[in-house]
Amino acid sequence: MATETAVDVVMPQMGVSVSEGTITKWLKSVGEEISADEPLLEISTDKVDTEVPSPATGTLQEILSQEGETVAVGTKIAVISPEGAPAAEAADVPEPATAQAAAESEDASGAEGETATAEPAQEAEPGPAETAEARPSPQPPPAGDGRGDKAFVSPVVGRIAAEHSVDVTQVEGTGRGGRVTKKDILAFIDSGGAKETPAPAQEPAPPEAPAKPAERAPEPATVQAATPAAPQAGETVEPMTPMRKGIAEHMRRSLDTAAHVTTTFEVDMARVVAAREKLKREFQEKHGVKLTYLPLIARATIDTIGDWPWMNAEVRGDSIVVKQYVNLGIAVALEGGKGLIVPVIKSTEGLNLLGLTRAIIAIADRARSKKLLPDDVQGGTFTITNPGGFGAIHGTPIISQPQVAILDVEALVKRPVVVTDDDGNDSIAIRPMMNLCLSYDHRLVDGAYAAQFMRDLRERLQTWDESAY
Amino acid sequence: MAVAREAEPVSSLREVKEAGLDREDLLNVYRSLLLTRGIEDRGHILYKQGKIPGSFYTGRGNEAASVGVATAMGPDDVGTPLHRDMGVHVVRGVEPWRIFAQYMGRVDGPTRGRDGNVHMADNKLGLIAMVSHLPAMLPVAVGCALAFRIREEKRVALAWFGEGASARGDTHEGMNFAGTRRLPVVFVCDNNQWAYSTPTHLEYACENLADRAQAYGFDGVVVDGTDVLAVYREAKRAIEKAREGGGPTLLECMTLRMEGHAVHDDASYVPKEMFEEWAKRDPLERFRSWLRENADLTDEEEEEIAGQIKKTLSDAIRRADESPLPNPDDLTEGVYASPEDLDTPHHK
Amino acid sequence: MAVKTYLQAISDGLRQEMQRDKRVYVIGEDIGVYGGAFKVTQGFQEEFGAWRVIDAPLSETAIVGSCTGAAIMGLRPVAEMQFADFISCAWDQLVTVAAKQRYRAGTAVPIVVRLPSGGGFSGGPFHSQNPESSFAHIPGLKIVCPATPADAKGLLVSAIEDPNPVLYFEHKHLYRRIKDEVPDERYTVPLGKARVHREGDDVTVVTWGAMVYTADEAAKQLESDLSVEIVDLRSLSPWDKEAVLTSVEKTSRALVLHEDTRTGGFGAEIVATIMEESFESLDAPVKRVAAPDTPVPFSPPLEKKFIPQVEDVLAGLRDLAEY
Repeated sequence: MATETAVDVVMPQMGVSVSEGTITKWLKSVGEEISADEPLLEISTDKVDTEVPSPATGTLQEILSQEGETVAVGTKIAVISPEGAPAAEAADVPEPATAQAAAESEDASGAEGETATAEPAQEAEPGPAETAEARPSPQPPPAGDGRGDKAFVSPVVGRIAAEHSVDVTQVEGTGRGGRVTKKDILAFIDSGGAKETPAPAQEPAPPEAPAKPAERAPEPATVQAATPAAPQAGETVEPMTPMRKGIAEHMRRSLDTAAHVTTTFEVDMARVVAAREKLKREFQEKHGVKLTYLPLIARATIDTIGDWPWMNAEVRGDSIVVKQYVNLGIAVALEGGKGLIVPVIKSTEGLNLLGLTRAIIAIADRARSKKLLPDDVQGGTFTITNPGGFGAIHGTPIISQPQVAILDVEALVKRPVVVTDDDGNDSIAIRPMMNLCLSYDHRLVDGAYAAQFMRDLRERLQTWDESAY
Repeated sequence: MAVAREAEPVSSLREVKEAGLDREDLLNVYRSLLLTRGIEDRGHILYKQGKIPGSFYTGRGNEAASVGVATAMGPDDVGTPLHRDMGVHVVRGVEPWRIFAQYMGRVDGPTRGRDGNVHMADNKLGLIAMVSHLPAMLPVAVGCALAFRIREEKRVALAWFGEGASARGDTHEGMNFAGTRRLPVVFVCDNNQWAYSTPTHLEYACENLADRAQAYGFDGVVVDGTDVLAVYREAKRAIEKAREGGGPTLLECMTLRMEGHAVHDDASYVPKEMFEEWAKRDPLERFRSWLRENADLTDEEEEEIAGQIKKTLSDAIRRADESPLPNPDDLTEGVYASPEDLDTPHHK
Repeated sequence: MAVKTYLQAISDGLRQEMQRDKRVYVIGEDIGVYGGAFKVTQGFQEEFGAWRVIDAPLSETAIVGSCTGAAIMGLRPVAEMQFADFISCAWDQLVTVAAKQRYRAGTAVPIVVRLPSGGGFSGGPFHSQNPESSFAHIPGLKIVCPATPADAKGLLVSAIEDPNPVLYFEHKHLYRRIKDEVPDERYTVPLGKARVHREGDDVTVVTWGAMVYTADEAAKQLESDLSVEIVDLRSLSPWDKEAVLTSVEKTSRALVLHEDTRTGGFGAEIVATIMEESFESLDAPVKRVAAPDTPVPFSPPLEKKFIPQVEDVLAGLRDLAEY
């Protein structure tokens, strides 16, 4: 496959949610000859570490991005000149193994697969690029690339890497021959390295991870490489489903990313209860829709977000990205504790109570019947979770990244509360009370901001104005 | 040149009475001889029936030597009998069914299936279980005697060995140490003339093993091991001498091993004439004749005793057969002793 | 509490037990009138008489074998091998008789055999050995190897109390060289429990006997660079797996050190156990520093090369640290 004109090497997109990649190693230097498909460089993304095969046979004419640099997907990083002696394909071209090919097709059918054709590198050489993503091992054995001892992972380092989802190749080794020692990896984790360079082939970036139907989730290779758990007496061991692994990784990473703070407000739901009582029959009879409290609370929340836009934002690098739309994620538990999906209702700011109710019912049904489309689980900007349905009265939910807040709707319970009449007299009354717990990312949202948001939300619910909806 | 004293046969009832045995004692000796042989005969049958694992050893021909010495022991005396000394276990009072249970590897055998054959002993009866490295038991018996001496107790230890075992260093060390300290121990050599296939002249070069006693500074006596009363009398003398502080004695009981080393051995290396000659001196027949001539043993008594023995054996085998095999899960139990194991009469 | 040598601690512990318990007696070669080759029992015969401090003939088999008999008869014998090397002559008595008696016949054999062991002073092939691993292989025997004066006394008392045959390896090189505080009153140190001689975070050294001090010196020299934890096993049978694994799980690197020869040494058992039970804690292969597989040589330069020295441990620790 000798080439006539200069061929650009670009940063490939290693999966739909990947926007950039870091060059970890150039395997060829400028001036060296290279065959098509021969490994040219190694890159690391937040999904996978992989080798990038040369798109053409020729000479490496120019390297535009150096080792350690992070560049956006599609960025030109090198140029291959065709002047080198045209050569047959090198003997050491990696052949995609059968298993990898299988993984590839499986992956293509998954939620991530829909944009595969948009990936430039894959267009050039679709096989290897896709194959690498599904590689079962987080550490392809180095083939005479001089990494030597560094590639050996001791039992304890392997275990820690698995537990913390760390890609060992990203850790600087101080052991013999650059081997990563236990101290090295612990220091790496302590310095926050784990979150900056998540392990290869991690479950995808938020919010897909917890939201993806199990059968579609690609195998997260790092967790797979974890040390097998040996059953002790009285224990049973089963492998984590891909969904479980995805949830595990995402939850862990969210905690590692956001500065979680949870605040709780008590809300007197008397007016909401009354409103629902009134509307319930109407919705049922007129529209065939069962009205629960969730749409009422969601509606009030969406409106309150309008007054507190940072609740509907994202921390992107050093920037604050405020969304002009409210894509509301609704956490849906699957039966038997088998997993959790967070389908997203897009642009809820434009839905009235009936529309929102319908949307919630529809998407929850799709989630439970595993008929969600890839689009259904992406692009959330704010999430509501509803453990109150099981009787919970307090929680500290974990934010779905890259959002900055999640609202926990707790159980509606009758409680004795002190009420003050217009004359200032206190008495104890039985009131339908509900706790709302908000976890927010203190990197962006301060306590006062969150409290004011919650105060206004409470006010909206306590003074429910039917006409507004 | 022999230096040990050769013991005379016992001739009369009066002589026996002087040695401490009345007529009922004599009948008990007779019962012990019959029971000893009966246990081993029945064991041999069980072995051939496949009910006993491993190998099987008997002391046929040695019954009088073992019964005679054991009868002379005092109640608080102790000993380390070996695999030809079933008579010692019988006289000391081990229950026959437990011996069969031991043979068959059952939990009610004294070793609970951990060891087989006559590798057993009831510590409460003053016996210590043998090991296959036979002379290794001599220093142990010497240690028992040393304990008696340290505590100034009038007790005696009996140390059994064979002429094969006499060739090993433990025998020398045990006898030498006992001699230097004049310990209350009697060394009993069951000289059955064959150590497996090795004859006596390839085991030792002196005339009698008992001759060695003089070199250790104590008495040596050679006795006809088929004459239970002579064995008894000489053992009694040696034991009482030791008890009174007179030091050890080496008592050599001359017998012939009337079967192979074990059941698998046809003993073809033993001259036929030797078996024929010693068969005429069968210890049981010899004592039965003596009892008829000197103690008025009647046909009725003989029948009654034989019937008792037969029933004892049948009952014992049945009971032993009811004993379960050990639980494999208990394999690792009891490698180490716990303080409760010291709760024995000896540790009081 | 007074400062005592290792040897005085053994002697005092033994004397106290003999004063306290009439069942305890000592037996060995030259231990009575002469007070023992190393004078552990000096003055004992005057105090306890010739029947509790027994000068035996040169008969290791008879010495150990008679202890078994006397123990079964209710006494608590403490035998002294003049040198641990001579225990080979009593192998049968320990391995064939004493070790197996409880298991097969249910008979406890509470004996102690004191074994002056180890080299370092040109004792040659027959006065310098550390034969503990041979006996650690025998079910039914217990083995202790004290390193400090306080442990020497406390472990001796425990050994005498124990209802099993206990081999008590006392290192000759420590006899007068090591001094430390030893409580005056009677106390026990439990069998089978290790002691952390020195706490550290980076590397675990598992050792016992005189090598505790060799390891300690090496650890001191590396102090500024490497934090070394020294686990003094104290008992080899039973041995404190938990203490070793706990330390290794902390440090992830282990060096097993013994003065005995390498192949089939007890260190191999420790390494195997670490591999079996703490594999996922390891950040480096477990290392052994032990004597080479030769008899103990006589001439000083040869013996120095034979016995693991501080430099050998330093090299091993550095190698581990750099891994």
